[in-house]
Amino acid sequence: MQEKENRIVVEHVYKTFNVYLDKANSIKEKLLFWKRNRKETREVLKDINLTIKNGEAVALIGVNGSGKSTLLKLMTKIIYPNKGKITTNGKLTSLLELGAGFHPDFSGRENIYFNASIFGLTKKEIDKRLDKIIEFSELGAYIDNPVRTYSSGMYMRLAFSVAINVDAEILLVDEILSVGDQHFQEKCINKMKELKKEGKTMVFVTHSLQSARELCDRAVWLNKGVIQMDGKTDEVIDEYIKQTT
Amino acid sequence: MSIFKRLYQYRELLKTSIKKDIGGKYKNSFLGVIWSFINPLLQITVYAIVFPLIMRNNIENYTVFMVCGLIPWTFFSSVVNRTSFVMVENGNIIKKVYFPREILPISLVTSEAITFIISTIIIIGFVLAFGVGITWLIVFYPLLLLAEYVLLIGISLIVSSVTVYFRDLQHFIGVFLQLLFYGTPIVYSLDFIPEHLRWIFKLNPMTYIIQGFRDIFYYHQVPQVKEILMVIVVGIILTIVGYGIFNKLQKRFAEEL
Repeated sequence: MQEKENRIVVEHVYKTFNVYLDKANSIKEKLLFWKRNRKETREVLKDINLTIKNGEAVALIGVNGSGKSTLLKLMTKIIYPNKGKITTNGKLTSLLELGAGFHPDFSGRENIYFNASIFGLTKKEIDKRLDKIIEFSELGAYIDNPVRTYSSGMYMRLAFSVAINVDAEILLVDEILSVGDQHFQEKCINKMKELKKEGKTMVFVTHSLQSARELCDRAVWLNKGVIQMDGKTDEVIDEYIKQTT
Repeated sequence: MSIFKRLYQYRELLKTSIKKDIGGKYKNSFLGVIWSFINPLLQITVYAIVFPLIMRNNIENYTVFMVCGLIPWTFFSSVVNRTSFVMVENGNIIKKVYFPREILPISLVTSEAITFIISTIIIIGFVLAFGVGITWLIVFYPLLLLAEYVLLIGISLIVSSVTVYFRDLQHFIGVFLQLLFYGTPIVYSLDFIPEHLRWIFKLNPMTYIIQGFRDIFYYHQVPQVKEILMVIVVGIILTIVGYGIFNKLQKRFAEEL
């Protein structure tokens, strides 16, 4: 078989966070209390190596605080590693938190433009996708109402519809499918299966082992900032359940 | 990836944030865009009454003289002021989505530049009302606008990124701007300053810009093009240095906000 293209390469990545116990975020305090700037460094990720190839769907699993979300944020370039290198290849969309960047006073339609432009789309590209996005969100006539009048389910539907229709080669998703009703959840999972078939690369952070099994062919188990296991979804999840329960 | 390529790719975001900034400012206010005229007009009225009272001067058409300096100054000071808040205000998006962070200061400067172009109507209104008139010299307007724009891009890259780490810089900037208002020949002429002190004022790039606007609207003389080109060079240097600083600091924005 032909060697597949690498989409995400994580090499020897370390990430530490500074935890300020009392945050001296001003010149005054830095001058007055320069000795007293108590901070702790917390190592969140230690020497992570990971290569994700084109067309793979990877689930990141692990208990709370194991560094899954941090790894995902590093991949999106919201934060940067202290040591090591992350290279991504291809257009990337992330769904870390739904509707980040929605403006409550603007209508759903205006927010589609704003949100999609944050993902780097041009007006023409958005125009082309607009109908598809509105249709997928099932918002119908509500699309012209201000977003602040939306229920959290509607909010989530709109955000998800935008992100999934950006046509990115890489989709990063943080635990979000828990919102929305059964019907929409199924719709999302089906849509993601479809994207997978089209050869998109996906990385999920999830606690729902069921949907991980359903969608992903590979799972990476993070434990206390290191990769505990990396392999076929079923094998990793079985081992994970054995050790954590 | 070069900054220009990235900005071009994200041009839609740049455009929508500029529109959001200009439109959003007046969206919920009764008088709407009229506010962008009322505010400076009130300020002009106050200064036109106060300064001739406390300062003896023989400047002809003092109000016009002052307006020509005040409007460009307002552009400068509102950018410098707002740019120190821009990252904190957008902290929510910065923490959750990736996009080129420099879009935020750049779109702020651009939207303020558009506001400035609109409020140039005020200068023209005063010039006509007081019978000073308009000449062909107005062709130098784009050059002066460019000089101030480039200068502000450089300053805003530095200020917006540094304030993320030092929040109280915002207060310093407020005081500094007030000081600079009196340190720039806006309500007075550079001729009032004793010869041996003038070099201090000549270190301030805003001095040249305001004198330039005054040359084309008030004195009707060709502005000192060489000096203005110098300001542009300074602005470009500031932008390059500022972009370096910005790029280094922006890596930890999401953690510091």
